Amino acid sequence: MTNHYCDMQNADVIMTIGSNNVENHPVSSKWVQKALDRGATWIVVDPRYTRSAEMADIYCPIRSGTDIAFYGGLFNYIIEHDLWQHEYVLNYTNASYLLDEQYSFDVNEGIFSGFNEETATYDNHSWHYQVESTKTWDTSEGGAYAWAAAPGVPEFTPPTVEVPKRDMTLQDPMCVFQQMKKHYSRYDLDTVSSVCGMDKDLLEKVYATYASTGAPDKSGTILYALGQTQHTYGAQNCRSMGILQLLLGNVGVAGGGVNALRGEPNVQGATDMGMLVANQPGYLNWPTEYGTPSLRKWCEKETYSDGYYTNKPKFVVSALKEWFGDAATVDNDYGYDWWPKVPKSPDYSIIGSFELMSQGVIKGYFNWGMNPCHSAPNASNVRKAMANLDWLVVADWVETESACFWKAPDMNPADIDTTVYFLPAALIYEKPGIILNSGRWLQWRYQAVEPWDEAKPDYEICDVLWTAIVDLYKKEGGVAPEPIVNTKWDYYVDGKIDPRPVAWALNGYVYDGTECDTTSAAPKTELLSSFANLKADGSTACGMWIYTGFWANNDAPLDPAEQAVGSRVADDPTGLGLHPKWSFAWPLNRRIIYNRASADMQGKPWNPDRVLVEWTGEKWVQNDVGDFVAVSNGTPVPPNDKAFMMLWEQNARLESYGMGDGPLPEHYEPFESPSDNQMNGRQNSPCVRFAEFESVKRGDRSEFPIAVTTYSVTEHWQTGGQTRTCPALNEAMPQQFVEMSLELAEEKGIKNGEKVRVRNNRGEVEVMALVTPRFKPFTVNGETVHQVGMTHHFGWAGEYATGDIVNDLPPNVGDPNCWVPEYKAFLVDIEKI
Amino acid sequence: MNLSRRGFFKAAGAAFATSMAFELSSKSETLAVEPSADWKLVNTEEYTNICCYCSGGCGVICSTRDGELVNIEGDPDHPINEGGLCPKGATMFQLRNVVDPETREIIKNTNRKTRPMVRRPGASEWEDITWDDAVAEIAQWVKKTRDETFETMHDGITVNRCHGIASLGGSQQNSEEEYLINKMMRSLGVIAIDNQARV
Amino acid sequence: MSDKAILFDTSRCSACRGCQVACKCWNDLPSTLEKNGNPPTGSYQSPMDLNGDTRILISFNEEAGGSKGVKWAFGRRSCQHCTDAACATICPAGAITKHEATGLVTVDDSKCIGCQYCSTACPFDVPRYQEGLRTTVNKCTGCVDRIEQGLEPACVTTCQPDALVFGDRDEMIALAHERADFLKARGYEDAVVYGEDEMGGLHVIQVLKYGVAAHGQVENPQANPVVGLTQIMKPVTGAVTGLTVAGLAAMFVLGIGYKRDKLAYNPETEDTISVDTGQVVKHGDGQDEETVMEHITENLPGKKGGN
Repeated sequence: MTNHYCDMQNADVIMTIGSNNVENHPVSSKWVQKALDRGATWIVVDPRYTRSAEMADIYCPIRSGTDIAFYGGLFNYIIEHDLWQHEYVLNYTNASYLLDEQYSFDVNEGIFSGFNEETATYDNHSWHYQVESTKTWDTSEGGAYAWAAAPGVPEFTPPTVEVPKRDMTLQDPMCVFQQMKKHYSRYDLDTVSSVCGMDKDLLEKVYATYASTGAPDKSGTILYALGQTQHTYGAQNCRSMGILQLLLGNVGVAGGGVNALRGEPNVQGATDMGMLVANQPGYLNWPTEYGTPSLRKWCEKETYSDGYYTNKPKFVVSALKEWFGDAATVDNDYGYDWWPKVPKSPDYSIIGSFELMSQGVIKGYFNWGMNPCHSAPNASNVRKAMANLDWLVVADWVETESACFWKAPDMNPADIDTTVYFLPAALIYEKPGIILNSGRWLQWRYQAVEPWDEAKPDYEICDVLWTAIVDLYKKEGGVAPEPIVNTKWDYYVDGKIDPRPVAWALNGYVYDGTECDTTSAAPKTELLSSFANLKADGSTACGMWIYTGFWANNDAPLDPAEQAVGSRVADDPTGLGLHPKWSFAWPLNRRIIYNRASADMQGKPWNPDRVLVEWTGEKWVQNDVGDFVAVSNGTPVPPNDKAFMMLWEQNARLESYGMGDGPLPEHYEPFESPSDNQMNGRQNSPCVRFAEFESVKRGDRSEFPIAVTTYSVTEHWQTGGQTRTCPALNEAMPQQFVEMSLELAEEKGIKNGEKVRVRNNRGEVEVMALVTPRFKPFTVNGETVHQVGMTHHFGWAGEYATGDIVNDLPPNVGDPNCWVPEYKAFLVDIEKI
Repeated sequence: MNLSRRGFFKAAGAAFATSMAFELSSKSETLAVEPSADWKLVNTEEYTNICCYCSGGCGVICSTRDGELVNIEGDPDHPINEGGLCPKGATMFQLRNVVDPETREIIKNTNRKTRPMVRRPGASEWEDITWDDAVAEIAQWVKKTRDETFETMHDGITVNRCHGIASLGGSQQNSEEEYLINKMMRSLGVIAIDNQARV
Repeated sequence: MSDKAILFDTSRCSACRGCQVACKCWNDLPSTLEKNGNPPTGSYQSPMDLNGDTRILISFNEEAGGSKGVKWAFGRRSCQHCTDAACATICPAGAITKHEATGLVTVDDSKCIGCQYCSTACPFDVPRYQEGLRTTVNKCTGCVDRIEQGLEPACVTTCQPDALVFGDRDEMIALAHERADFLKARGYEDAVVYGEDEMGGLHVIQVLKYGVAAHGQVENPQANPVVGLTQIMKPVTGAVTGLTVAGLAAMFVLGIGYKRDKLAYNPETEDTISVDTGQVVKHGDGQDEETVMEHITENLPGKKGGN
């Protein structure tokens, strides 16, 4: 989230789209209600009438997978009716930047310039800006970038700053604004309502209501979740929300933002941590074989020419220093070679990894509190793939479907040679540690009780495994032991593994001044209070640069209550719900990121009642920690247009050359769709990932005419490992269901409460039919399209509540930017049992 | 007793030998009856924690007596949830303990697994295994698979990667644990690292 | 201390059922541990009805219509804590009582004898009989234990959108009217406040967005007429041996036809007896079955006053 939960109360208009915030992020209901109490309007856009829709002011049904058409229509509406926030868009975005003359979009083919049909990828050269002039870094002594040439800093050639050509009148046909205007002119109300299956008048009402937040003093917030991301164009859905909020001046303001309601308790932390194939902690890229095979190459490719990411070498060197400790020196590139290099292909992310298991490439598998035999798309294929493993280790609270995949109804244990270990994990209140919420708050969990029986905290499980592996390599040798034996693993207090020294590692510290492995009650630490103190010369170590400052009190380094993370002062001096002293929000305790954009070019807040930062004429008032350079060398910096300092342009991107599948969002149909694409000549995104896998078994609407989306209910959670363990929740929601319209039920002869079979080429499941007026057939391109929705929390494992695996049905295809599967729109057929 | 006393929590013990905060004191008149012996939270210690479901980050209070969990409910001082909890958060207690409908006694949750187990090739049931044996066997497996599938160089580039092992998950763990899992896997050379953020 | 009340505002309720399960957790109430032991309901609502271990239930009622195409009305099924609490009036064992300080109607199931008069008397069909280790009637206690310690009732504490609020009854009524007016202005013309006067005034005040019936509430609730009888018979109870209640039990069967076991209670011996068989269902001290049977026979309706 750019903003955070308590901030929702500040919105004038709230749009829930691609989430069901009341059901799946229930605490949001509190904050949305507070906004309504203050007179806000709440819009819910969803394929079915949810519990969120019941609480909202306006409900707008949408056919699953047509969000970009909806947004495109909204962009068009905003531009046509001149409702965009002029000063904001002109100065804080790239609206005025001129695009390369070669940039184009072919409506008939449905592709942007630079497409290669053979590889199904784009060359993004023509999506870049025209260059006005270039500048180089001053690395001479006393220069702004002198640090880059200092001793101990890895050698690299600094990037060249390319100053883009701009037209501040926004008239040049190649400027981003004009290109957007042209691109979205096709998205008129009639076409959009026909694509989305919406009532045109209702659509216009929604547009008018949301676009009203383009007034400078108004703010609108978007609450989204997996309904936006789980599509073969999920990243473009997210881009669309960003563009919308920029057009209306809603980014960086209280009550605004693009707010991902994230689905797991610490998925924010796991994303921050870079627990993904190609990521490092703190949103840095993991080294690749093809792009960044050496530290020098990494610094040259990843370091931005301007803006805050000019500091990336400091972050990566500090990360390496924390990783390898004494073994990391400037002479060995701080151990960079020991880090594995990601290949261009094959794909090792979740979907690709099952393909590699099927091929016998991946032979051993760790599941840490995750249950892919249930949660991954085309789950029966996952179970078959896992049957090829030599070994599987599952650390969890309960026997998950993955732990006992060999017991699945469609498996014969005698045929499966996998050795499976189940390691019992401690519950969250049986261990201490840090968790992050969607609002980027780091909070401390105190241990309340001892783990029951032989369960262990995951940090202890990790430690016993790692220690045993290192011992083996030390004792027996083996292939390439260097990365293992040189890894720094010294997170002990009194000889016991302890999360607190790990917290120091994440926060960052002066390397020579800190001893992680301690037996002292007052250990020696030099923890850093800001990532501005990180160095690229190996003198500082930091596992997660964005967290720096959350654990920086050197007077009590073992006491979480004395650290920012453990602070429980709930004061709210502005009344905006910033709660600046409650826990810690990364980065630097900033509660609303991009907050420079909450004030105009003179530094005057757009809304005097919602002041985040304000220029007094002499200095900046910072009710929130400013997300810009407010002071330089001790002198206040007067307002300028650099409101987005994490981009090299320091202006936000309405058009982005960084996307894999197009610089502007364009509507395509889901991989399996009940309708033809009405917006352009190409049915699906040209870049859909994994469509070539045989296991996908694509279905056709002639055989499977019913569109389906999957979702969660408030009483259960994900694969149900936890919630199906709680008897009161099983009682409240005893089984899974397929929700369908009265019309479809009548057509199929299905009555409410009856068991039905839902099937496609990948699988079939039996669930209960919920026949309801809350689902209505859509009229798409003049034809009736039926859509249904299914919950997905049940499986065969567990003692209390079981059911079929609904995730056997979705296709294992992915978004081309981040490989997220398409759970939210695919095809099935339904029959009465 | 005042509302902010949980603000004085210390890492070492975090214990208060009384009942929960008077959440009503700012809202309505309290009866302020001395806790009687049958008061559910008499002589309990309180520990703050964060809910284990969605990413709201709601605060909870775990009340314990004699080292056992007695109650979990929302933390009234927490600015996000102000004491509230959804049905999942409100039943977090049941992840550990449940009421037996027959005896009406509180028992350990029978769906939870708290001992290491191993399933051998071809077997149709789990076997018990000690932690020590499980860890030793897993370490051997890891070394065997890593040594067999490790690639040091590719096309003249040092790649130091292990193709044969994959690691999945992390969004359930605390951040320190995420760091350790990530560090362990990357140092083994594992490329196939993914978590719930992808799905 | 003035009367307290729980305000339930259906327009803020997200039907998440945090209240339903928080009640269970606080009161250590079980749910089945049997595999797939909960029957499917064909609805989000589950279970479909209250029972001794489910003392608050969110009901779901959906129909097409309204400005958004559907009206999905969420309701709260639980004790309404009547001022004129028929259950407390009729309870022969003192198990259901009015909590003086708050006006809530609380229950102490250790005193319950399982006679179920309260169930019959209640206009909201709330107290539920349950067989088990102890065969008793149970219902919402009002979480008086929590209130006495300065906490809100468990359902109120857990409610995230503040659909449940606890406070002085007067204030809750004022809030409810304010909210109903707000809803009417927003186009919910059937919005109404419930509980202000019903049964002498309820201690659960509700804002019903779609009107009384849509949210599963009872229009113009009345205590079962049998309750009046207890008022007449109470002096008799005091005067003789206290087996008046047996008469009531029989009368339920004969006069109202409510299907249930006929039980009698002897407050002196604290025994509960089946009227049909004469067997002691629940022993107290100093039980003398023969004597009790005599008393039962003597005290059947028609033999003693009443109407």
